[in-house]
Amino acid sequence: MPDIAPPLVLPEAGQEEKTDPTDTLEPGYLVICWDDPINLMDYVTRVFQTVFGWPRQKAEHHMLQVHNQGKSVLVRDSMEKAEHYVHQLQKFSLHATMERD
Amino acid sequence: MKFIRIEGDDFVFQIGPREKLLLFQVLRLYPLIPSSYFRLSKTADATEVQADQHLLEEALAEQKKENRKQLEEMLREPGRFAAGQNGLRFSLRAPQMEWLLQVLNDIRVGSWLILGSPDQAGKPIVLNEQTAPYFWSMEMSGYFQSALLEALNEQP
Repeated sequence: MPDIAPPLVLPEAGQEEKTDPTDTLEPGYLVICWDDPINLMDYVTRVFQTVFGWPRQKAEHHMLQVHNQGKSVLVRDSMEKAEHYVHQLQKFSLHATMERD
Repeated sequence: MKFIRIEGDDFVFQIGPREKLLLFQVLRLYPLIPSSYFRLSKTADATEVQADQHLLEEALAEQKKENRKQLEEMLREPGRFAAGQNGLRFSLRAPQMEWLLQVLNDIRVGSWLILGSPDQAGKPIVLNEQTAPYFWSMEMSGYFQSALLEALNEQP
């Protein structure tokens, strides 16, 4: 007996949820790390290396910006990626947020 | 706790029996930072990021639950602390080092929050009968973190 393919059910027009690709995919978000005087400088450097895969020198540069200027913009990325980085940094108990550029 | 050397994949430390007891006492405090402490954004309207904020808090809480489980397993693991010539030999793999640093930093920052987030700009430390033990845990977690960081910096 031949297999009968099930009928195709196409979604009705207008059923799909609308997403704004400019909001989620464009690099319009800044990931910022804020100074918490309690974090050890070496620890902050280490976390930047781990989360972003940066070489020590670059990680140290951003750590010193946090320490001396109170904050450092770490990356500019899409909403999804910015959220991911903020979550990673907060997992290490660093004070990080994402802000619209 | 003193870093001795890297042996294969292991970072080897020398730790005294009393230090081990202190390390265990500090680690038992984990987690100290409430998941609601972290905000996704400083400037965004709270209602705008409410769902994402909730997801972030859930993910952090889940992560801490997993860390707590791993911590208990590590503390129970036989052979983690082996008798050596001068005290105990404490060995950790690189991923365990990173993870332990994360746990210790939660305890350090959490203790600091309980102490009123004191800073050099003049915000005073809140020291009383209830908070005093957290001054100790803040200092001790920093001490153990420094030993781990020193060892990681030795990595080729």
